[in-house]
Parts: sequence; structure tokens; C-alpha cells
Amino acid sequence: MGYQYVTEEQMQRLVDFKGAREYHLNKKRDKVDKRMSLNEAIAKYVEDGDIFAETGFAYVRAPLQAYFEMIRQKKKDLVGIGSPMSNCSYLMALGLMKAIHLSYIGVEMRGNDKNFARVIKSKQAEIASIWSHGSMALGFKAAQLGAPFIASKQLLGSDMLKQNPYVKVIDSPVGKDKDPVCLIPALFPDVCIIHVQKADRYGNAIIDGPAINDIALAAACRKVILTAERIVPEMAIRENTSASIPFWYVDAVVDMPYGALPGCCPGYYYWAREWWEWLVRNVTPREENIAAFFDYWVYSTKDQYDFIDKLGGIRFMDHARELMEAAEANIDDSKVSFAYQEVIPKWD
Amino acid sequence: MSKIAPANPLEMLAYNISLQIENGQIVYVGTGLPMVGALLAAKTHAPHITMVFESGGQDPLEGDMPWSVGCPFTFRKSPMVQEMAPSFGQCAIGYVDIAFQGGAQIDMYGNVNTSVIGSYDNLKSILPGSGGGNDIGSLTEKSVLVGLQTPDRFPEKVDFITTPGYLDGGDSREKAGLIGGPVAVVTQCGVFDFEPVSKRMRIKGLNPGMTVEIAQACSGFELLLPDGEVPIIAAPSDEILETLRNVVDPRRVFTKMPGS
Repeated sequence: MGYQYVTEEQMQRLVDFKGAREYHLNKKRDKVDKRMSLNEAIAKYVEDGDIFAETGFAYVRAPLQAYFEMIRQKKKDLVGIGSPMSNCSYLMALGLMKAIHLSYIGVEMRGNDKNFARVIKSKQAEIASIWSHGSMALGFKAAQLGAPFIASKQLLGSDMLKQNPYVKVIDSPVGKDKDPVCLIPALFPDVCIIHVQKADRYGNAIIDGPAINDIALAAACRKVILTAERIVPEMAIRENTSASIPFWYVDAVVDMPYGALPGCCPGYYYWAREWWEWLVRNVTPREENIAAFFDYWVYSTKDQYDFIDKLGGIRFMDHARELMEAAEANIDDSKVSFAYQEVIPKWD
Repeated sequence: MSKIAPANPLEMLAYNISLQIENGQIVYVGTGLPMVGALLAAKTHAPHITMVFESGGQDPLEGDMPWSVGCPFTFRKSPMVQEMAPSFGQCAIGYVDIAFQGGAQIDMYGNVNTSVIGSYDNLKSILPGSGGGNDIGSLTEKSVLVGLQTPDRFPEKVDFITTPGYLDGGDSREKAGLIGGPVAVVTQCGVFDFEPVSKRMRIKGLNPGMTVEIAQACSGFELLLPDGEVPIIAAPSDEILETLRNVVDPRRVFTKMPGS
């Protein structure tokens, strides 16, 4: 495959076991207060040209407010990866990202993301390699485990192998029978931002609900930024031995209540469902709609509180909290309704 | 004579999905119609199934319909959640019995395309990509494909194999090193299986009102026929339809026909 944007060095860096190890060896070990503003963390640790890994599950415990800050800071030449990686769609449209290692970009049953199709078709961005969720998850997991690769049964027989320069098929050397397996190399992105429910000032972090690939990514990535709903005393984590990310993986801790909005954050708030439907059904189908949408929601908001005001302020937030508590069966849900008016444009 | 409106095509799809599930199974579900089918199975003939989700949620308490695979309703008071890699690993090591997946194209050997129409070098349209589709279809003992059946969506060969079915037929799936495989295809026409030797798609049963001619007209390849008469699937009982309409999908999010 010839590439238009992604460099050979960027392609190799993703699987550079020794390079990632060297980087980790040279990271500061000091257990110090790593808190800083979102602006500072993004400015310092998300660099142009980085291989940028999405975390969470697209719009579940994803650091969306931090992605919006990346947009405000006009990051560029990023290479996207993640499983899933649906937010890379608008990062490509807005010019931050020109290449992706694709697993899945879409909003489930809300239909195909027409923006993704457009940026690829118009060659505004390119696909550097193609994966399934599970095979990419194994690549991140291999990195965490310190394994140069993991042999898998997924991807065999699939045409994705023809669009993936990293994965090799071999006959398993284990056992008597000839048995094809895929070798999935350990994947080492440069940077990820992980939104967590709780973190202490040093970067020990608690994830509630599905961790998806985030524990593996925290270990794999060269640089890790945490945004946290709550900064808690270290002892609150120690008393239950409850951290899933240790402080020495972490470069920056950002006190970021509501940092996963407009997505949902288990334990805290439910989605702004209409925001996503508006994005996918009304905005991204037409290129000319995109600038105004991001101008309204990102460039003309300075932080998550401005964003909440636009969503409907305290009334929206309290309803979102109530829906999450009911969904998690933590409050009596008899008065909570999950019915809502879906956004369905006339042309759909 | 039935007292309530007969099943619409989407309800019939959900019902046929539910019939693929046996009581006691561990079921890998996505959102949309497969979720409706699984919930219907749980409310009717299969009360003791356990659901697992690719986001890591598993065995949730019963609740509202999830808005996403990552919705809190997929891990509502779950005893535990899994990370993504072991969540799919469960399919490979034999702890998941059946999984469902849809696709923009499904071919005569049950190969599924959710990647691209045309090719990446010559794009007609881009689809979201594999997501977990390839993983569950490559690893799960039994997978069930769900789709709208038209000649375009049921071509002789998919433009891109995202999730392998029986590849070129015969033993080619096994030779590729894959485990499990598709056992059924559920469409608005009815239910299909795969002929055991050639692994070509075969009519297993047709929905009420459907004929072999209609099913064939909705297909871009020749459908194999079962030995003897083609079975017609019995319509769901009023009780099952009422459960579907009032309990499983009361807001008719997934089972209301567009425009109705």
C-alpha cells in the first residue's frame, strides 16, 4: 500500500517495542502532583504527528471535552487508532488527523457516518491499516503484557489482512496439526487521554464500568493524560486497592468534572442522545454544516461549563444524572422515562 | 382467528431471531433487532439465557432497551465487566454459544461485508468497518446473520470479506484455521441455513406469505432448496406478539415499520 499522508516512520513507530520501552524507561518516576489545566496538558502532551489512541467506547466514558480542546488548539498530522474510534471522524473532518488505523467508525444503529466516507473518498484522510475491534484490542493487550505479539484466530480468511501490513498469518508452531494463526503485534500509540471517574493527584486512577481497552492503552502509550470526574485523596484509592491505572504511567492529571460530555459517564451522567443524532443525521451528511456545528459547540465554548449551558444547563445535567442512576438501578426508576424524541431529518 | 394485528416484517425478523436462541445459552448480542430478538427469547421460550456484550457488559439486570452496546443497560448491576480483549476471548475459548451480526452484504457462503462497497481503491461507499463483527463471526461456535434481503445485499460474492462465513465453500473455512461458523441467516423472507457439504445458503423455512420465487427474486445468487416441501414458519402467537409489543419493545424503536 502506498500512503499519501502517514509516514513510514509513523507506521513503524506503532509497533516499535524497543522504542516504546526506551521512552517508558526515560519517563520521570517521581510521585508528584501531576495536576494541570486541560489547556496545559493538551498543549504539552499531544504533539503534532502523534499516533493518537481513542479511549472509552466512542461515547461512553470518552474524554470528549479533551478532544474538543485538541480542536481548539488546532493539533495536526495526528494518526488515529482505537477500538472503537468514532470520534476520529470529526477530527479528520476538522483537519487534525490525516490517517487512521481503522477498526470501526460509526454510531451503531444510527446509520453510517457520512463524514467518514467523505473524508476518505475525497482523500482528505487515508486508511493506514484495517482491523477488527478484537484484533486491535489484542494488540494493545500484547503491549500491556509485554508480549511482542499475540497469536489470534480472528482476522483469518478476512480481506482485512490484505489491508493490514502489520498482521502476519503463520502455521502455529504449537501442537501437531497444521493450524493457521494470525500474529498480532503489540501496538504502542504515542498518546492517549483517558477519562476516569476518580484519580488522585499522582495519577492512580479508578475506572468504573467497562474499561474497554483503557488499562492496556495506559500501559502501551508513551504519554498518558487523565481527565477525572473527581480528584480523590490517595487514601480513597489505597483503602480498596482499587486503581486500575498506576501513577507511573500517567503524565498529567486534569480535574475535569463532566469531561465525558456529551457522552455518558457511568456513575455520573447519561448521554446527550440528541446531540449525537444531530451530529450524525443532520450535520455530518453535509460538509457545509460541519464548520458551524463545531463553531457553536467547540470554538465558542471555552470549557465544559459553557458546553453544559448550551445543552440546557442544570436541568439538562440533573436529568442526565437521574437517567444514569436509573439505568444503573441506583435509584427507583419508576418516574424516569428513557423515551425521547429522536432526531430524524426529513431527508433521511 | 387472531385478535391482534399480525406480525409486521420487522416483528417477524425479531421473532425468527428469538427462535435461534435455546434456553440456557450464553448469547453475544449487539444493539438493534438482535437485542430485541434476544429479549423476546428471554421473555418466552428461553428464560435462562445470559447476555454478553462487546463493550464488556455481561449478565445485566433486566432494564430498558440499551441505546448503545456501551449503554449502562448492558452492565446494569453486572457481577463483573470484561475488558474488550477477554470479552471476545470468551467466544474463542468456548464460553459463548451464539452470536448475531448484520451486514451490508451477505453472500452465498455467509461471508459478510461491513467495510466497503466497491473496493478501497475504487470506492462506491464506505461502511463503518468490522467493529466486533469479524471477532464474533470468526470465533463464536454458532453465528446468526441478520439482514435485509435484496439482490444487491445478497450478492454471489461480497465486495470485501469483513467477517468470513464459509469463504469459498466446502472446507475452506476450516482450512483457513477458523472456528465455529454461521449456522443461520434471518431475513424478511425467512430463515436460511447452509448445506452441510457445499456450505451454500439454503432455504430452511419461509415466513408466512413468502414463496420460493419471492425469496429467489430477493437474492443475487441461486438459493438451495431443502429436500421435500419448503417449510413455512408458523406465525408467532398472539401472546408472543403482545410480549414483543408491550414488554420487549414498547416504544417500537426497532419493530415499527418506517412510515407507519
